[in-house]
Amino acid sequence: MDKLFEWERFFDNIPKMVPYLSVTFSIAIYASIVGVILGILIAVIRMKKIPVLHQFFQVYVSFMRGTPMLVQLMLIYYGLPVFIDHAFGTNINREWSTVIFAYITFILNQGAFLSAIFYSAITSIPYGQTEAGLSVGLTEFQTFRRIILPQMVRVALPPYGSDLVGLFQNSSLVFLIGVTDIMGRAKTIGTVTKHVIEAYVFVAIIFVIISLMIRLLFYYLNKKLDYGRGRRALILKEL
Amino acid sequence: MDFNLENFKESLLSGIEYLPNTLKLVFVPLLIGLFLGTVVALVRVYRVPIIDKLLAVFVTVYQGVPIVVALMIYNLIFMLKFNDIAKALHIPKTVTNVDNIWVGIFALTLTAVCSISEVIRGALLSIDKGQDEAGYSVGLTKVQTIRRIILPQMVPVAIPMLINNVVGLIKASSVVMAIGIIEIVAGSIIPSSRTYSFFEGYVAAAVIYWVFTIIIEYLADVLRKHTGRFRRNLYD
Repeated sequence: MDKLFEWERFFDNIPKMVPYLSVTFSIAIYASIVGVILGILIAVIRMKKIPVLHQFFQVYVSFMRGTPMLVQLMLIYYGLPVFIDHAFGTNINREWSTVIFAYITFILNQGAFLSAIFYSAITSIPYGQTEAGLSVGLTEFQTFRRIILPQMVRVALPPYGSDLVGLFQNSSLVFLIGVTDIMGRAKTIGTVTKHVIEAYVFVAIIFVIISLMIRLLFYYLNKKLDYGRGRRALILKEL
Repeated sequence: MDFNLENFKESLLSGIEYLPNTLKLVFVPLLIGLFLGTVVALVRVYRVPIIDKLLAVFVTVYQGVPIVVALMIYNLIFMLKFNDIAKALHIPKTVTNVDNIWVGIFALTLTAVCSISEVIRGALLSIDKGQDEAGYSVGLTKVQTIRRIILPQMVPVAIPMLINNVVGLIKASSVVMAIGIIEIVAGSIIPSSRTYSFFEGYVAAAVIYWVFTIIIEYLADVLRKHTGRFRRNLYD
């Protein structure tokens, strides 16, 4: 066995791996965009207490928060084909690429987590403000758009940032269902060249950079939105 | 769709059988994390020179590494270098007779230390500086102030966030199946590979985790009410 870690192999690997970053980013982008929509939908249903749907989504959010991402990924991967096969009689295992299962899982997962963030952000604003808005003749939607939303964003931003960091980290799990993302690529490099540690270290560095960039971005966003809040905002930021 | 209850039950029992491994993977890191995390947080809050900067950089960087990646790296180093390290330290063991669950515990411990230290740092910062000054003014030493005044006030602030961390650890512990440690998930699909009922196997694993986290959250609620009872103000 020669040396465990060699810089030469490390730099050789980089051009082979960087293209696969797009898979990681596409998962994160799909999950963010559709997840935000789903999250808003669930939060609205929970605010309005629409019967049946309200209870259903309560269980759904609890399930998504209480089970590991890995298990959810596997459930979708093994469960959805069986379900669709019985409902529509098409075999999606053959037609869909595995990355679609990853998209679906991450969207469903993000929807649940984001709904919890939005819900707690909305409820952190005293109900008196809604009442005040309604009393001066604003419609319900106007009250939400002009009074609740601007305040809510400030509260929701820090947890959304850490959620986004977590989303990127979790996306490295998709190699377990056979999606070739950057981690899956590291593994295949390992099987071909028998030297996998350089590839893994590169993956680690990439994820550290992504997480630092997101943190930095949210740090500045927080600072921008921090006007006139004083001590409370300071505490929120530290948390 | 056909959901085979018989296979599901078998998977459920097989998964529960490996629950102790998951408990080990959660609670050993949690205990070490609570201890070291508090130390790290205190070092950073009270600005011990040099060490605080090093720890700040380490915690920030390490929180960016996904746990699967860290796990894979540690496992590789463990497999390839354990014999050499053991020889250098005169430990009469080789890689074959050490359970690799310790690699999982090690990886989860480092993650736990980082995330718990952040939680505790946040809780410490939420306590007013005047409390330190008050302790100092009545003649307590720094250690006495921390132990008798700061830490007891920090606990109720930190508990809700700590519970999130525990749930996160429980969920993160499922990742160790990637290096071949058998815990709840890997345990529940043992019968599946024979009967080819992977969906039932994973549903069983999900149910075990779900019940587990619900129990933890319930206990957390009891604990939160208990520790918060002195903080309740008159308006509550």
